[in-house]
Amino acid sequence: MHSLIELWESVRDFIATGGDVLYIVAIVLFIMWVLIIERFWFINREFPVMRDRIIADWNARADTTSWYAHKIRDAWVSEASTKLSERIGVIKTLVAICPMVGLLGTVTGMIAVFEIMAVQGTGNPRLMAAGISMATIPTMAGMVACLSGVFVTSKLEGKVKSAVHGLADSMPHH
Amino acid sequence: MKKVFKGLVVAAVVTMSAGVCLTAAADTAKLDQLLEQVKKSRTAEGKMNQQREQEFLSDRADKQALLNRAKAEFAAEESRGKSLTQQFADNEGKLAAKEAELIAAQGTLGEMFGIVRGAATETIGGIATSNISAQYKGREELLRKLAEAKEIPEIKELEELWIALQTEMTESAKVSKFEGNVVGLDGNAATASVTRVGAFNLISDGGYLVFNADTQEMQPLVKQPESYIVADAEAFKNAAAGEVKPVYIDPTGGNLLRLKTQEATLTEQFHQGGTPGYVITVLLFIGLLIGAIRFVSLSAASAGVKAQLKNLGNPSEKNALGRILKVYHDNKAVDVETLELKLDEAIMRETPDIEKGIGIIKLIAAVGPLLGLLGTVIGMIGAFQVITLHGTGDPKIMAGQISMALVTTVQGLLCALPLLFIHSMLQSKSNSVLHVLDEQSAGIIAAHAEKEKA
Repeated sequence: MHSLIELWESVRDFIATGGDVLYIVAIVLFIMWVLIIERFWFINREFPVMRDRIIADWNARADTTSWYAHKIRDAWVSEASTKLSERIGVIKTLVAICPMVGLLGTVTGMIAVFEIMAVQGTGNPRLMAAGISMATIPTMAGMVACLSGVFVTSKLEGKVKSAVHGLADSMPHH
Repeated sequence: MKKVFKGLVVAAVVTMSAGVCLTAAADTAKLDQLLEQVKKSRTAEGKMNQQREQEFLSDRADKQALLNRAKAEFAAEESRGKSLTQQFADNEGKLAAKEAELIAAQGTLGEMFGIVRGAATETIGGIATSNISAQYKGREELLRKLAEAKEIPEIKELEELWIALQTEMTESAKVSKFEGNVVGLDGNAATASVTRVGAFNLISDGGYLVFNADTQEMQPLVKQPESYIVADAEAFKNAAAGEVKPVYIDPTGGNLLRLKTQEATLTEQFHQGGTPGYVITVLLFIGLLIGAIRFVSLSAASAGVKAQLKNLGNPSEKNALGRILKVYHDNKAVDVETLELKLDEAIMRETPDIEKGIGIIKLIAAVGPLLGLLGTVIGMIGAFQVITLHGTGDPKIMAGQISMALVTTVQGLLCALPLLFIHSMLQSKSNSVLHVLDEQSAGIIAAHAEKEKA
């Protein structure tokens, strides 16, 4: 319990030196990872069940060659693809937003620096240091958050694509 | 006037001569008597004169005696003056000797006096502005007296200095509660319970107070620090005795808190953005409005499509999928290729309605940061103009311009962030509807047709 409080204190100190923008980075990062984990769960756990059911349905059909059959297959694949790529767009947006939020922190930090300069002049660099740490820490946090998402997202997209192709390929016209 | 005077003189002469004539006529013997009388009175007057002369002479003798006495007195005083002058001079010499003796006797005590005065002078500033003075008022008066005094301090005064220093020391280690007069921001004074944390902070119900040494009053900060800091402070103030609560203290005794109040507020910062800032804000609101409208209509469209999916037999004219199904229902007899063409046509008709407005949100999200950049550049141009006019000597002048430049960047980013998010949300919403219409409608119709045939 004590160590948890200490951890929380250190997080709060970090956020205090980095400014409130870090909260936004944290929220964006949290939502992003929740969505990413949910997608992985869906692709790896729920989608196989769904895929097997669709393939079984297809194999159970008598007619697999007519125009109707083509369209039905397309619809099924499209439905699966929609289910698979749900919220991927949101994840990608969140990844793209991270550096922008970091930049926001940079600029607000610089504003703090210049505000202090406007009041105190350049005589005391210690006063400016607070603003500068508010400028650099969110940038770093935003970059890290973005990088943590970039690879996972491209991996996720690849997985979705191959899953859709795999599904389409497992429903041959016979 | 002259005539009147003359008349009066004539009348007088006539009256006198008339009188003389009457007396002479009455009794001549009385003339001898008168002569006798005159003679008598001459002797009497002679005696009187003699007596007066005698008196004057005796008086003169008296005065001479007085003069002599005064002269003697003068001589005596003069000699006394001489002796006193001598005495004075002697005393002067003695005094000088005694003073020298005193200085010799003081020895190190003189140094102590200097130190006491120095200590008192040093302490005045600290004690006068210390938060402890909010509770114990008027402590610096005595120190001031001690610092300005010319005489050697007495033991009592020395003790007072000692007590003042030790009070400050002891009290700065204590957390104490007291009732004090707090002058609010509106100028009204009210009594409030105040918690003092050492010499560091004064906390009241509204948050931190600062002690104004000039007016000897406590005032709330013009702007309190972050809410969680104030919340901690209030929790600390309301804690029961013996309870341990964390609190943020200002080690400079209020200076940092005062400095914090000089930071610009959000509204002030917003207006620093200038025209580009206002344009960005307007764009943001337009984007949010379009987003809200599209969100509502897309939700309705997607709900309609979902409802229609459950009820394929009765196509409704009110939703996109229904209109497409209607095409199939109207053209059941035609061959498959014609049906597909007709379906494609119907889908093409539906698509623009669903995708409407999404592009413009993306455009605004892209334009926002660009406008921010524009503002930045405008601000920098302003800053460099200031440099041209005033040189780089005063960074404060430049800082105003530069902070304006940065504010527009922030505004651009703040405009882009939510709009990007809204765009991606609307995009996925419209995609899901479009997928149903574009890729699945033919399949749905096919499945429905198969069912009808079976």
